[in-house]
Formats: sequence, C-alpha cells, structure tokens
Amino acid sequence: MRSELRSFVLGKARVPRRPEDLTDQTPLLTDGWLRSVHLPELLLLMERLRGTPIDVENLKAGDFRDIDTLMARFGPAARLDTVSGLDTVSGLDTAP
Amino acid sequence: MTPYLHWSPTGQSGLSGPLLQLADDCDEAFRILASRWGAAEERHGAMLPAAALQRVGYLRSFPHQAMFPVRLAPDEARLEAFRDEPLDALGQVSLTSPGPVTEVLTPAACYHLYHAHQGQELDAPLYLTTKNTCFRAESRYEPLRRQAAFTMREIVCLGSPETVAGFLALSRMHAGVLLDALGIPVEWQIATDPFFQPLSSPGYLMQRVSPVKHEAVYGTLAVASANLHHDHFGTAFGIKIDGRPAHSACLAFGVERWLWSILQRHGEDPVNWPSAATAARAL
Repeated sequence: MRSELRSFVLGKARVPRRPEDLTDQTPLLTDGWLRSVHLPELLLLMERLRGTPIDVENLKAGDFRDIDTLMARFGPAARLDTVSGLDTVSGLDTAP
Repeated sequence: MTPYLHWSPTGQSGLSGPLLQLADDCDEAFRILASRWGAAEERHGAMLPAAALQRVGYLRSFPHQAMFPVRLAPDEARLEAFRDEPLDALGQVSLTSPGPVTEVLTPAACYHLYHAHQGQELDAPLYLTTKNTCFRAESRYEPLRRQAAFTMREIVCLGSPETVAGFLALSRMHAGVLLDALGIPVEWQIATDPFFQPLSSPGYLMQRVSPVKHEAVYGTLAVASANLHHDHFGTAFGIKIDGRPAHSACLAFGVERWLWSILQRHGEDPVNWPSAATAARAL
C-alpha cells in the first residue's frame, strides 16, 4: 500500500519533482505534491487497497498529511472504530 | 421584530432608521480594522463573469447557490408575447426565451478583487478591502441570519505564505477583540463551505483534511470567517509575488448577521445598541 501511495503522489505532482524528495513524512498538501482535485481519486485508491470503504464524514484535519499518516489512518493496521469525532461545525449557519 | 427591518420572505432585508445606522456603523468598524493593514478600498459591481468564476471552480462547487442575472432574448416577437402576459397565475415571471447568461450575481465580495488584479506581479503584499451585496440561493431564509441577498465586507491579503498566515492570525485576533468589546461571545471553529454533493467534492475533502476556514460563531450563527486560500486564487488569476503564485486569505464579515447578533444581545431598543466603530477605534 505504501508503494502504491507513493506512486500515486509522484504521478500527480504538478511540476516535475525528484522522487527522492518524497519521503513518507513529506507534507503532501501543504508542500503542493497533491491538490484538492486529486483527493477523490486518492480516496478511491485507498479504499481499493484496504478493501473497505472510507467514511468521508469521519475524515479529520491532518488525515492526508503525509504517507505515514495515510498508512496509520487508513492502512491495514488502522481500526475503523478508532475514528475520532469531527472537527467541523455541521448544522451551523455558516458565514461567507 | 424591530420596525426598522423590512423583511422580504424571498430572502432580503430592507433597513431604515437606527438599524441602517447600525449597519453603517458596523461596516465602519470593519473599515477601521482594514486600515490597520493599510488596506485599499475597492468598489465593484453586482456581477462577475461566469468564466472568471469557473476558473476557480465556483460553479462546479456551489451550483446550488449560484444566482444569475437573466434578461429576455432581444427577439421582438417574444418580447411582445412577454409584454402581453409577463406573470403567470402564481405571480411568477413567464420568461419567454432568456438571453445568453454570461454573468453570475456576486457570491462573495472578494472574488472581484482577484479578478480585478489578475495578471499583476506584486512587489509587496497587497491588502484590499471591499463590500458588496452577495447573492446565494438557499433552501430557507431567515431575517438577518440567512438571506438570498446580504452584505459582505471583506479584508484580503495577497502575498507570501508567511505574510498571509500572519494576516490571518492577526485578523482573527482583531475581530475577536471587537466582538468581545460589543459583548458578543464567539468561538472560533473549524468549518467547511457548503459544497454541492460534498462527499464527492474535491474542495470539501480538502477542507476536511486540511482546514482552511475558521468561523467566529455566536451561538449557532457564524458572524465572521477567516479563510486561507493558499495559492488557489493567485494561480487562477495569475497574481504573482517573487515570481510565484501569490497566496491569499480573507477575513469576511456578514453585516446583517452582526445586526442580528447585536439585537439578540442588546435588545431592540436602539438606545442600548453599542457602536462597533467606536469599539474598533479603541482597539
């Protein structure tokens, strides 16, 4: 799963990047390796690799931070029932 | 309900007397905050080109909220038919054939700023402020709290990631102090925008795993939001700093929601309403 995630990220990088610059701790979103348009596909990839669906409503801040986090959060060792509560404020009259 | 509020169930408010003065006073307070960064005031129109909004994915992300200015096709026979029976039995406009729709009614005030500054190469951070009437279709409307047409004041920073992060932190602090001075207790909370079909929306997924929106929430009502855009607008509109797409952030205030909060907190007698501008000057 780790190597497939790595291949996915390298394949999506907007500008040519050196593969050796992508470590398992490289921030994927804040360093611009991935953008929002890639996330649905990444989600599908992880669901395929782990063999079970991922509940989008249980996603929380930092879940896609780096490959290590993805493995810990969604890899074979991750337990679905350890998903913590949401950080968002659903149901609010949201502002502009 | 205060006699100075003239509510239309289609989702808009008219203001008069002291309530109108309070709205102007709140906006003056926001302008005073904006002056802390030397933000230049800009005034823009009611519409944005749909093509410009499409560049930032607005119509893909929020089709359920978009509102459009529509005119009749300039076809004399159809115009005549319309003239003869402009409304149906339900009072709805009987559009014969609409003309081409190329504009979107302003969904957020700050979009105009990125559009107006497209292609600009910045040699220093750019601070701007603007106010506009914004239009969003909703499933329900509530006076001052949730409207189809409402007033938004925004303060925007365009610059390096570090500059923008500093702006956001400071702007949240200033807004929080102002609200505190008005006796409106808020909590800053992580939030997401109301994306269409959020579970399959890239923007929604992004906001869930990498929060970029924080709202100042009074009870259940968000009265202000601090939004980090990364280089989303800088890339879409070709705005650069140091040769790279500028990052941006905005602090947004919903003026009618401030009115609701002040009335809720201080009652409907204008004598008891605090002055936001006075509080802002004292910050």
